This record gives sequence, structure tokens and C-alpha cells, in this order.
Amino acid sequence: MPGPYRRKKVPGGDGHIRKKLKTKRKTKDLDQIDVDLKDENAKRLLNQEINSDKPGEAQHYCLHCARYFIDNTALQDHFRTKVHKRRLKALELEPYSIEESERAAGQGNYRAPKMRKIVTQDSIKNMEVTVE
Amino acid sequence: MRIDVCYFCSSKIYPGHGIQFVRNDCKIFKFCRSKCHRAFKRKKNPRKVKWTKAYRKTVGKELAIDPAFEFERRRNIPIKYDRELWQKTLEAIKKVEGIKNKRQAAYIMQRLRKGREIETQRDIREVQRDLSLIKSPAAGLKERMAMEEAIVEEEHDSDMEEQVVEVME
Repeated sequence: MPGPYRRKKVPGGDGHIRKKLKTKRKTKDLDQIDVDLKDENAKRLLNQEINSDKPGEAQHYCLHCARYFIDNTALQDHFRTKVHKRRLKALELEPYSIEESERAAGQGNYRAPKMRKIVTQDSIKNMEVTVE
Repeated sequence: MRIDVCYFCSSKIYPGHGIQFVRNDCKIFKFCRSKCHRAFKRKKNPRKVKWTKAYRKTVGKELAIDPAFEFERRRNIPIKYDRELWQKTLEAIKKVEGIKNKRQAAYIMQRLRKGREIETQRDIREVQRDLSLIKSPAAGLKERMAMEEAIVEEEHDSDMEEQVVEVME
């Protein structure tokens, strides 16, 4: 079957996938990340206090993937990965929201989501430098 | 009684049905059934899953923009009970619902009509292309040849006669 209905077969059952889906291990949703991308939140997240509980003491954070890395090289390597690029692509469209679900149900007009331009945080920093 | 909207498929949730999830930023996600809840947990995008309302509206299968959609809305304004207003709204709901249903049906019919046009064009093209399957191009070839020969002979005869006439003169 084409499209999103395909069930990928995995060796040894899907136990490890089930584990990922527990609320205990919940990762940030795209709409939460969208809020994080706002300037004031982005600044707060990129300049965090030293926290020994987080990987790399919370000094190397990827905004789009909501992940901590142990050092700058690991972060830079991550920017070149497929996972990161895929996430950038996913964020290009406005994320789905509760309001949109209501509009789809006929409470108000349903307008198509807008496309935006998303760039990796490093280039955002560089842009700030050039502006200054 | 409050009828909620499912976060994933945008269907109605009647009291006593479904489940809700409160995220750690206080947003409440309501789901009509475990199917929708499971899809949410798997981080599926409702715009890309074909059985949701969001998909049908983004792809243009259903009417998405219309003034009839402005009537039903969540308005967080408390209104004091007023019997007359209550009765009027009930009547209005029925009317608006009727208009909305008609427009939605008309939209779908218009969409399908285009498909039918394309279908007929395709059929015509197919018949023209594969006409040889119905009628062989060689059908009646011998008769046609014989007819042509006969015409040529007649022409010859008439030419001969003219020459003879010239000689006589």
C-alpha cells in the first residue's frame, strides 16, 4: 500500500517502538517547537545555565530537534544529518493546532497552512552578527 | 451538554466518549476514540492522514471556505438565559445547517462533474485510437480496388473514343 498507511515490519516485534510512545518518554511536539523558535524563547534556550543533569551541561542545544548535545562538534555534526534536515523540512509548514482541528470541523473557515523559511540556528546567529 | 471536537479527525465527541490528554503546557487534546489517540501518540500529521477532516479540506475534497462556517463558533462569552433568543437561535441553527449542507453537496457534485468530463474525453480518444479493433482497416478493400479499376477503364474508353472522333474529322 502506498502512502502513510504502510506498516513497516521490524524484527523482534515493535516493543521498542511502543516504549518510545509512552507518555513518560514524550518528546516535544512540532507546535511546541514552533513556540520555541520565537526570538525570546530561542535566546533563552540557546543560552541556558549550566545544568549537570543534561547532556553537555545544557550548553549545546538544537532548537529544531529539541535535543542536547555533548559538545559543539557533536552539534555541528548533527546539523549535517538527515534527521535534522528532515525536521527543518517538517517545520516549514505551519504546525497543526487545536484551533485548526476546530476549523476543519466546520467552526470557521479552513485556510491552508502557510509555508515558511526555516534555517538552522547557527545561521540565525550569523545573521544577527551581520545585522549588528 | 457540550459536544467537543476531536483533535485528530475533527469529529464530534459526545459526553462519555473518547479520552483527553493534557500536555505539560496546559493544552488539552481531546480524542474521539483510541484510533485517534494512538495516531497522535505516534506523532502523525492529521493533514496527511486520509480519513481526517483536515486532510479532506486541505486537499480540496470538501468545501473549506464559506460564510456558512462562520455561524458555529466557540464564543467564550456567557449569555443570560432568554427564552426568545433561545428559540430564535434554534430556528437559525436549522436554517444555517440546511444551507451549509446544500452548499457542501453542490461543491462535491461540481468536483465530480469535472472528472466525468475528463472521462468522456478519454473514452473518445480511446475509440479514435483503437478503431481498428472494431472495424478492420482492410474491410471492403477488394471491392474498393475493383471500383477504382472500373473507373480507370471507363476513363480510358472515353479517351479512345475522343481520339477516334478526331481522326474521322
